[in-house]
Amino acid sequence: MTDFRKFYPEKQSTELCLEAMKMAVQGTKVSAQEFHGMVNLCVYSQFADHFGDQLLAASKIHDYLGFDPIPNIEVKTGGATGGSAAKTAIELIASGSASVVPVVGWERMDEVNTRQGNAYIASAACKDFESPLGWSYTAYYALMMRRYLHEYHPQRETLAKIAQKNHHYARFSPFSQLPGDYSIEEILNAKVVSDPLTFPECCVMSTGAAVLIFCDEETAYRLTDHPVEVIGIGAGTHTLRTADRRDMPILLLPNETEDTYKGRSNDWPGFTSFLAARFAARQAYLMAGITDPVEELDLAETHDAFTVSDIQTYEDVGFRPYGRGAEFVESGDAYLGGRLPTNLSGGLIGSMHAVGATGLFQLAEIFWQVRGQWNEIHDDEELWKRFGKTKPTDFESLQVPDARRGMAISHAGTGSHVTCIILDGGK
Amino acid sequence: MTNQRQEVKMLQGLETILLKENFGEAIPEEYIVRENPRTIVHRHTYGGLSRFFGGLAESVLWGTVCLNQNCKWSDIWLPPRVHCPDCWEAMEWVPIDARGAKVYTHSTINLPGAGFMLTTPCPLISVEIRGVCTKFMSYLSKFGENEPYIGMPVKPVFQKDNPTYTILDISWVPKNSD
Repeated sequence: MTDFRKFYPEKQSTELCLEAMKMAVQGTKVSAQEFHGMVNLCVYSQFADHFGDQLLAASKIHDYLGFDPIPNIEVKTGGATGGSAAKTAIELIASGSASVVPVVGWERMDEVNTRQGNAYIASAACKDFESPLGWSYTAYYALMMRRYLHEYHPQRETLAKIAQKNHHYARFSPFSQLPGDYSIEEILNAKVVSDPLTFPECCVMSTGAAVLIFCDEETAYRLTDHPVEVIGIGAGTHTLRTADRRDMPILLLPNETEDTYKGRSNDWPGFTSFLAARFAARQAYLMAGITDPVEELDLAETHDAFTVSDIQTYEDVGFRPYGRGAEFVESGDAYLGGRLPTNLSGGLIGSMHAVGATGLFQLAEIFWQVRGQWNEIHDDEELWKRFGKTKPTDFESLQVPDARRGMAISHAGTGSHVTCIILDGGK
Repeated sequence: MTNQRQEVKMLQGLETILLKENFGEAIPEEYIVRENPRTIVHRHTYGGLSRFFGGLAESVLWGTVCLNQNCKWSDIWLPPRVHCPDCWEAMEWVPIDARGAKVYTHSTINLPGAGFMLTTPCPLISVEIRGVCTKFMSYLSKFGENEPYIGMPVKPVFQKDNPTYTILDISWVPKNSD
């Protein structure tokens, strides 16, 4: 993985992807040359050609990495591109058609200014009926947030605590773009982008790259003595336009029954929930045999593009029933030391959102955690220096003790695509 | 006959702007960052949805409804769809009766993305309309203190003069306004 920056003039996308690939392979028992001979196919993960202004950039990167004539494909599902690319690689391995598939994710979001960047991202909303109304996803999530506050009445401060937590955890990551310790007052009194969302409650816009290597079990042990197993995958979709979501009965998770929502009168999924997230999580839980995610997972990475999308996702993936997502934060469950620490990476709010790399960044952070390797990476003075940063003097270990299972949620648009991947590091 | 060689010359207009800084940060001298300007025009068709955008210029808000008797979904779609997503049959166009329309949710946009063609602050709203299964995204073009609010009664207004043939041709105002 590279670090993530607002602006990265020192390196082209090819260089960033090579650095991320090199770091991934250096973590194995094989050399770069040997690795070239093992790969069957590469999956490339980039959200928008607009940003890098280079169609078929994957081909350029594939060549730069020296993988020709091995085939490659590029996967695109908006903000969920990283998760979808990883899922595609996993399915290729599971099908038996490949034994080693690296997934290379990146985004070069620094060629345009932030206003244009927001407009490019909002090009992934419906161009006819939505995009001209804001040219900004912050506005579309603000609509959801207003409705969420109206229907469920969480404390406004609870949402700000999500931003506070993730900016804080980003302080201990050499990869992070926007670390910081903010008071709740500072977050709530910051400039409002689109009411009620303030600046620190919105994700960053980044340039950087991340790489993961997926392989079959036999090959995994040729690469490392401690591989991590994929035990559950799921994906879901829903209408690109939030407006078009028809009311329907709640899709129940293994830890819910019809009684869980007895007497409920709010629309579902309405503007407060994501059918795609619930559909994805349900599949992954069934595959992994998980019946109570808070008890059976050790950590999670959610797609905290905005504070409100995070609290919505807690409910979609069953950390709390609908309407009670705030409890997940207020109980302390979401923090290190809680029952299911979430976004210890710093998330999209504190660390990075180089869109095509994001889902892979989340999985990489879980990979290190469930191998008990978080300190080895994040506490490494040399890595901080390589990125031109100084490790904080009050550095804290965010390694979850005895972490074994972690889940990553990769999410697009206002929930148009969501993937869920569960990793198990074994005992 | 002499084989006279032709020359290829650079056309005028390729302006060179090298950046010294970006996003408030100085660019290290050894790296070249140049501006690549773009002006692009797309020719976008509304296809079967043309009736909707033409309707706005005539002060009519059109939706669509599936009349296939074998299809269970009979609510109106707004934004309209030419085809029913359930049975794939062409739907019927119906004018929307916006009496009773109210704000379902809202936000006030202060910092929009590039290309936003409305003034700010701009109240973005989703409108709930009886008989319509969707929540229509639009904006409030007239608003006072503490407006909009969830449940606020609103009525549509149309850009009849110089229509843009975009979704910006319809907006909403408080129901009790002139």
